[in-house]
Amino acid sequence: MKSTGQIIEEVKKEIPEVSVEEAQKEKAEGGDNVVLLDVRDEDEYRAGYIPDAVHVTRGMLEFSIEDEVPDRDKRVIVYCAAGMRSLLAAKSLKELGYTDSVSMAGGYRDWSAAGLPTAKDKTMTPDQLERYSRHFMLTEVGERGQSKLLEAKVLLVGAGGLGSPAGLYLAATGVGTLGVVDSDVVDLSNLQRQILHRTETVGNPKAESAAETIASLNPDVNVVPYNMRLSEDNIIDLFNEYDLVVDGCDNFATRYLVNDAAVLTDTPIVHGSIFQFEGQATVLKPHDGPCYRCMYPTPPPPGMVPG
Amino acid sequence: MLPGTIGLVMATEAVKLLLDVGEPLIGRLIMYDALSMKFRELKVNRDKNCPICGEEPRITELISDYVEFCELDHSEPLATAAD
Repeated sequence: MKSTGQIIEEVKKEIPEVSVEEAQKEKAEGGDNVVLLDVRDEDEYRAGYIPDAVHVTRGMLEFSIEDEVPDRDKRVIVYCAAGMRSLLAAKSLKELGYTDSVSMAGGYRDWSAAGLPTAKDKTMTPDQLERYSRHFMLTEVGERGQSKLLEAKVLLVGAGGLGSPAGLYLAATGVGTLGVVDSDVVDLSNLQRQILHRTETVGNPKAESAAETIASLNPDVNVVPYNMRLSEDNIIDLFNEYDLVVDGCDNFATRYLVNDAAVLTDTPIVHGSIFQFEGQATVLKPHDGPCYRCMYPTPPPPGMVPG
Repeated sequence: MLPGTIGLVMATEAVKLLLDVGEPLIGRLIMYDALSMKFRELKVNRDKNCPICGEEPRITELISDYVEFCELDHSEPLATAAD
């Protein structure tokens, strides 16, 4: 039987190694043509990683690498903590048909000791690790994506029919800051569709009723109620506070106001509207796609019922 | 129930934008009909003459009154109404 040392020595003959300095230079010059692949375990990765690295644990390598690195001819520099597991991982990649995978000698230990750039996501609490564990199974989200969501700020314009389901799911997903702007109060007739509100909150401001429901669903969310009407005077300052606006408002004046403020502050809008049994949705990203005025240059005749 | 469907399309798009994954609904309008249970997709383009995001924007700050703007008779071209 071979010892671990013997196995490593054999693999070293087969898999090229690069130093941490060489790895950094290659990534800096090669950009997207070079993949830095972190194969360490979740807790090691959590403690710090190389910026722009792709993370697939050694145990999941064979199952997930194709999703992360579909091009088998791509240059892949594998790293682990000290350069042993990365050798074995690079060998597995070779067996999977990856033609240009190498191992970074010295691993993350030498990388950080050399003072090269590292990154660390916001540390999640044990409750958060459990709450969002299903997200971690999705490579598109993962812990890094969840950290992004927890740091994101989304403004809900309207806590009505559209804002309710959108707000509930965004809260459940773990969007860290949710602003809710609505000047209305909850009416009994709202409850058959505005699921952020409850029988007990009839008569209360919608912004506050929404904030209560969101807080009880997910205490991670910093929910900010704005019990006011959006206006020319307050909208610009408000939009500057947020990354993204979810516009579920119910009148055309607000819709054009939201559009203009979004273009002027370069804030993307997720737009939705409904009328009876029909609905529509789109994303209005300023200067990247059309804005609401590109789609609807003029408001409809006065008196028409909006979604 | 209809707003739930659209609201969740909106939430999904919001998360995609925040995570920078997938193909966002930029330049595409999803139209949903609950009675026939059909989704249609319409391509929507930028308007280079758009008064706010076009090549030569005429609106460079918020207009003074959006309620009034929406109550105006828009049989006249928008440029006149907005200016």
